[in-house]
Order: sequence, then structure tokens, then C-alpha cells
Amino acid sequence: MANNGNPTQAYRPYSLKKILTNHTRAVSCVKFSKNGKLFASASLDKTLSVWSSETLTKLFSLTGHSDGISDLAWSSDSTYICSASDDRTLRIWDARSAECVKTLKGHSDIVFCVNFNPQSNLIVSGSFDDTVRIWDVKTGKSLHIIRAHAMPVTSVHFNRDGSLIVSGSHDGSCKIWDASTGALLKTLIDDKVPAVSFAKFSPNGKFILVATLDNTLLWNYSTGKFLKIYSGHKNRVYCIASTFSVTSEKYIVSGSEDHCIYLWDLQGKNLVQKLDGHTDTVVSVTCHPTENMIVSAALDNDRSVRVWVQH
Amino acid sequence: MNAPIIDPLQGDFPEVIEEYLEHGVMKCIAFNRRGTLLAAGCSDGSCVIWDFETRGIAKELRDKDCVAAITSVCWSKYGHRILVSSADKSLTLWDVVKEERIARTTLPQTPLQARLHPGSSTPSICLACPFSSAPMIVDMNTGNTTVLPVSISDTGNGVVPPSRNRFSDGSAPFSPTAACFNKYGDLVYVGNSKGELLIVDHKNVLICGIVPVPGNAVIKNMVFSRNGQYLLTNSNDRTIRIYENLLPLKGGLKFLEESNHAGDEQDGFEKLKAVGSRCLALFREFQDSITKVHWKAPCFSGDGEWVIGGSASKGEHKIYIWDKAGHLVKILEGPKEALIDLAWHPVHPIVVSVSLTGLVYIWAKDYTENWSAFAPDFKELEENEEYVEREDEFDLMPETEKVKESDVDEDEEIDIMGVEKDSAFSDSDMSQGEICFLPADPSPDVPEPQDKFVGSNSKQGDSNQSVSALSEEAGQSGRLTSHISTPLEVGVSAI
Repeated sequence: MANNGNPTQAYRPYSLKKILTNHTRAVSCVKFSKNGKLFASASLDKTLSVWSSETLTKLFSLTGHSDGISDLAWSSDSTYICSASDDRTLRIWDARSAECVKTLKGHSDIVFCVNFNPQSNLIVSGSFDDTVRIWDVKTGKSLHIIRAHAMPVTSVHFNRDGSLIVSGSHDGSCKIWDASTGALLKTLIDDKVPAVSFAKFSPNGKFILVATLDNTLLWNYSTGKFLKIYSGHKNRVYCIASTFSVTSEKYIVSGSEDHCIYLWDLQGKNLVQKLDGHTDTVVSVTCHPTENMIVSAALDNDRSVRVWVQH
Repeated sequence: MNAPIIDPLQGDFPEVIEEYLEHGVMKCIAFNRRGTLLAAGCSDGSCVIWDFETRGIAKELRDKDCVAAITSVCWSKYGHRILVSSADKSLTLWDVVKEERIARTTLPQTPLQARLHPGSSTPSICLACPFSSAPMIVDMNTGNTTVLPVSISDTGNGVVPPSRNRFSDGSAPFSPTAACFNKYGDLVYVGNSKGELLIVDHKNVLICGIVPVPGNAVIKNMVFSRNGQYLLTNSNDRTIRIYENLLPLKGGLKFLEESNHAGDEQDGFEKLKAVGSRCLALFREFQDSITKVHWKAPCFSGDGEWVIGGSASKGEHKIYIWDKAGHLVKILEGPKEALIDLAWHPVHPIVVSVSLTGLVYIWAKDYTENWSAFAPDFKELEENEEYVEREDEFDLMPETEKVKESDVDEDEEIDIMGVEKDSAFSDSDMSQGEICFLPADPSPDVPEPQDKFVGSNSKQGDSNQSVSALSEEAGQSGRLTSHISTPLEVGVSAI
């Protein structure tokens, strides 16, 4: 199971702490709030659930979408949640009052991915209508509509100061956009195959973690070269979210279609642990901002949210 | 100066109007330190804070006691406070985040300009330049005013007793003066109607040095560059002058006092002039010798490399841009409305101008897509390069293709957490909790008449409760309004 790559410090493995079953259909996304007190899960059963990180119990559900939800994002002050749904809208929910505050309409097809900028006055969304939209949180208006790709947009993310947006798409390209003008700044990958299923900036905004439907790579976007490759998992069909774990040693964490969660050492690229237990593709993983806690979510055959901690 | 206009393709300055902001009739503007927020004073006495990224209104500061036009607006260093001066002779100090009025003072005369002390994060001292009398230091907490000396001639040694109000004895004639703090606020630079620049220690109310400005014309505006190294004066002889600040940025006052004692000139006017020459050195002069236009609201760019000035001629909205060497690089022309205020963004090549009609125009670079952005291995060339093909480039089976290895060191350590300090804000001690942005609360959707039902309240910690949602259109409930800090009237930013 464990392949200890770091000789100076023994790797402390993660183990399952709790299984949370609440959703009636596949869970598509889990995310911790920025202050770590809560985490939210989104599901194809059209609802979101908000959980306490401390007690690991469900606090409330958010209902209102008329179709399944693919992605969610927290605002920086952990007060608002934005969800992206197959009903072509995004909704902004107030996590204190558990109510829907705003509905963002404009996309003409399934909205697949969403993120707030660090200042949380803008929301970026990617859709199956091939566009990326930048929304004003206050008014709900689209500030920019970017004809970003030739196929569905699978992933959108702001960098650390909110000046750049990275987007990935089924058309195989990964592009970087200027957040204030909506203009294209750089194209990272341009091969038609394989599709880019996920892209996000590193915490300092200098690197981009990109997942494609055959591998996961870490790029340095200013030189346009890939720096590290992480492999061993299975990712051929779904848009599996991966993330950085920075609370102790630095790891890359990703779900996989073989029902496991993979952890690689960031620098050494070696696999340090494989967490199993889920009974379907693990499609989303999220790391607590300060503690060594990982939460994962799996698809229809499983429908659970699992919490893993490091001992 | 008939210097040739340099190629406008070079240089980081704006070229066209990108957008305009509309909200009532705006009169004066000020950016916060990072340029993320723009405060605008309006003719109805309110101050509007725009979120410069979304071009929407973030906050509105409205005081029922003040309904007269705002004459100037000024941010505190880290964005916690805003000072507005108004035509009803008042100065109001606001707490930005809480949207509360901290203090309000009324002066004997309408202040045309008011500046908060730049040295502290919660300043209560400010410098006010009234309509037709000497500038004064106002303590907003106590309401005390200290008039600063504007001339050495009436007292002979530069010291003015602090209690004397020069205007009440009727001896001071109409004498417009301009004044500003230096970068850390230990000195005030005053420009008087005789064309003299006075360096004043405002704590002790003492003139430390004098710099006579060539031309001896009334000085209308004075402003320092952001880095405190250059001082700009705008005089009635239609000339903008740039002075280099020879004093050290921190501890300028101390340096002055030491050099005062060190010098061996006689006391009096000559000594003050000698000290003055050690503080400021004339660097450049800008004027338009053809049209001889008066300048309005001149200021520096954020990095101090460019100087802009608006033409004060009525009926035209012209902004002149010079580089520091003195060359005119561009003249921006807007719609035929007089220009009343001007500001350069602290970081980006963006200029904001206010017209007499109350609109705020945003000037930015004319963006053109970079073609190399469309493909990963495109490289943009500055000029034609001669391409020398490899020996085997056109072979059917080129040798080099067989050896394909990445030239990247895959074992190199990557730092995903480290962040470099932003060089544009060199003296930022971030522990001050600078306000870079105001939290954006989404304004609730207007409820539609059909199928509106109120959801049951949920309590945190009660895990079995689930909220039945409001329908797609309805979004309002009594509980929500307590979170919204802006009035429901949504600010309009038109494109």
C-alpha cells in the first residue's frame, strides 16, 4: 500500500474516519470552506449538503436546482457557496441562512465548473456551451462571455490574486485568460487528444496542475513546459478533480476510476498511499486548509462522502 | 516645448476610453492604494465607492447632514478611512468598512481640498486648503485647527503664533494656496500666491525652508509622486514644474533640522532659501507654448514615470501625457465636456477623468490579442530572423527525431507555496490589515409574482432539518436583508 519515498520522515498514512451517506444519487463534488469549518457536497440528486468539519454531521441541505449539480465553490470569507448545475444556471447560496440568494442565468447548456476569485466579487463558470463566463457577484450580470473552447469546458480556476483564469476543455486545450479583459494570454496544450479534464493553479499561482484523460501533469505555465508527471491511477472517462495537500508534506491528491484515492509526493512523484474503500469512481477530493484531513466523493454505485485523517 | 511626440506604440499609458461610470453627478475622485476601489464625491453630498474590478458600486457613504457638493475626497493609507470636504464648509471622516461617520468638523471657509495624514493607518489629522485663506491642519477628533504660515514677510522669522486666525482680523487678502503632505507626513509643502514653495514643520508651525518658483506666479496645485521622490507644482503661468525631493523619505524633518544647525548662513530669508535649495531641485517644466493652456488636476502616474495634466479650457476634455524627460507622448481627447478631475491608477496604465457632466471616464490601453497566445509553441519575434535549417531537416528519416528527450529536469524541487513580495508596494507592512476590497454581497433576486413560498428556517447544528427552497425566481426573505449592506438600488455602470 504505502511506498515510502521520503527517507528522512516516516510517512503517516491516512485512514478512514467516517462514511457520510446522505445523497440519493452520485456525489459530484466536495469542497472545504476556506476557514475549514465546513465542507459542502454537491450531487446529481439536485441538492447540496453542508457538513461540519468538526462533528462530521450534516448541518443542512440546499435545494432549488431543477437538475443535477456538477460543481461548487466557496467564497473567500466562507459565507457564500456557488453551485453549477445541469439546469444551465448557477446559484449563489448564503451558507449562514441556508438560502438561495441569487440565480445566475445566461449559459445555454449544462454548467459544469465554477469558482470564486480570491476577492470573491467575481465568479467564473465553464459550460457545455463551450463558453467561460465571468459574473459580477453583486449584480449577477455577466461581465465577460468568452468563446473559450471548441468543446465543453471542464474546469475553470482563478490564480492567487484573481488576475488570471485557467480553463481546460474536452477539445484538449488548456488556456490562460486575463480576468479583467477576458482576453486570451496563453495556450498551454493544444493537442486534440487527450481531453483536459481538470486544471487548477498552485497555491502561489506559479504552476498549473492539469489532468488529462490519460495522465496528470504539473506545468510551469510561464515557460510552457511540464515539470512533473504523476501516474498510476485510472482516468479515462470522468473529470476527476485533483488537489494539492500542503498541510504537512506536499502531496498531490487525486481520485481515480479504480475506486481509490491516490497520494503522490509532489517533488518525488512517487506514490505514497492509495486509499481504498469507495465502491465507485472517486470523482472529487478536497483537503482541509490547516488540518491533515481529506474528504472524497464517489459516483452512483457508492454515493457516499468519506472522511480520511492522518494519524 | 515643441518636443516631438514619441512613438505612441511604446510606453505604458492609456489610449482610448474603455468605459464610463455613471451615478448622479460626480465631482472628484480618488483611488485607494492598490487601485481596487475608486471613491467619487458627488454633487449631492454623498461619496460613492466603486469596485474597480467589477465596475459596480461597492458602497455609498451618505450623511443626512451634508447635502452640498463634495469638493475633494481622500483615502487613508491602507483604505480604512475616507475624508470628504464639502461646499457647506464641512469635513467628514468616514469609517469605510462600517460605513459610519467618525467625525465632522465645520471650517470658517469652504475647503477646496482636504488630505488625510499619510503616515498612519487610522489618521485623524488632516490638511485642509480653504477657498481663500491659508491652509490649516485640522484635528478631526477635537475640531482644533492650526493655521499654517504662508508667508515669511509678515513675521520676519517664519514663526506664526498658533492662536492667531489670520482671516478674522481682515488683514489677509484673497490668497489661494496649495499644500500637500510629503510621503510620511512629517512635513507640509505649501505653495503661496507669490510663487514661493514653503517647507513647513506642521507640528511646530515653523517654516523650515523656502524655494522660490521661477515665474513667481500663484501656485494652484501641488502633489507628490507615489514614491515621494518628485513634487509637482501647477502655477498660474501655465507651467507645470517637477521638483526632485532631495530630502530622505523617512525622517525628512530630522534631516532638515540637522542641516539647519549645520549651515553657516545668516538667519532669515536667505537662510531659509539656502535650506530650501537643499530640499528641492527643479527637474523639469512642462507647458504648451502653442496654445498656452492652463492646466487642471495634474498628477503623476503610479510609478512616477509619466505626468498627466488636463486642459482647463472650457468645452474640451483633453489630457496631456508627458514622460519624465519632458516629451509630450500623447494627447487624449474625450467628448466635448470640460474636465474637472483626473487620476492615474496606482498600478495599471489606466487613467480616470471626471467631466463637468458628472460622468467618470476610464481610459485604458487599446487591447489587441497577442497571436502567440493561440498556440503553445508560437513565439513572437521583434524583427525578422533568418532561419537556418538543420542538416537533416528535410530528410525522410531525420536523425534528431529519433532522440527525443525532454530537456526538463524532472527531479527539480518545485515550490508551490512561496510568494514574492510585490515590488510596486515596497513599504507595505501587510500586518496593518490593508483593505484591498470590500466584501461583495450579492443583492437578492427580485421575487417573481408566481409560485413564491417562504422556506422554513434552518438552524445550524440541527442535522435533520432541510430547507425547502424558494422557487427559482424568489430570493427574498426578511432574514436576508440584514446581511446586505448596500441599498437595494443597484449602481449602474454603463459601457
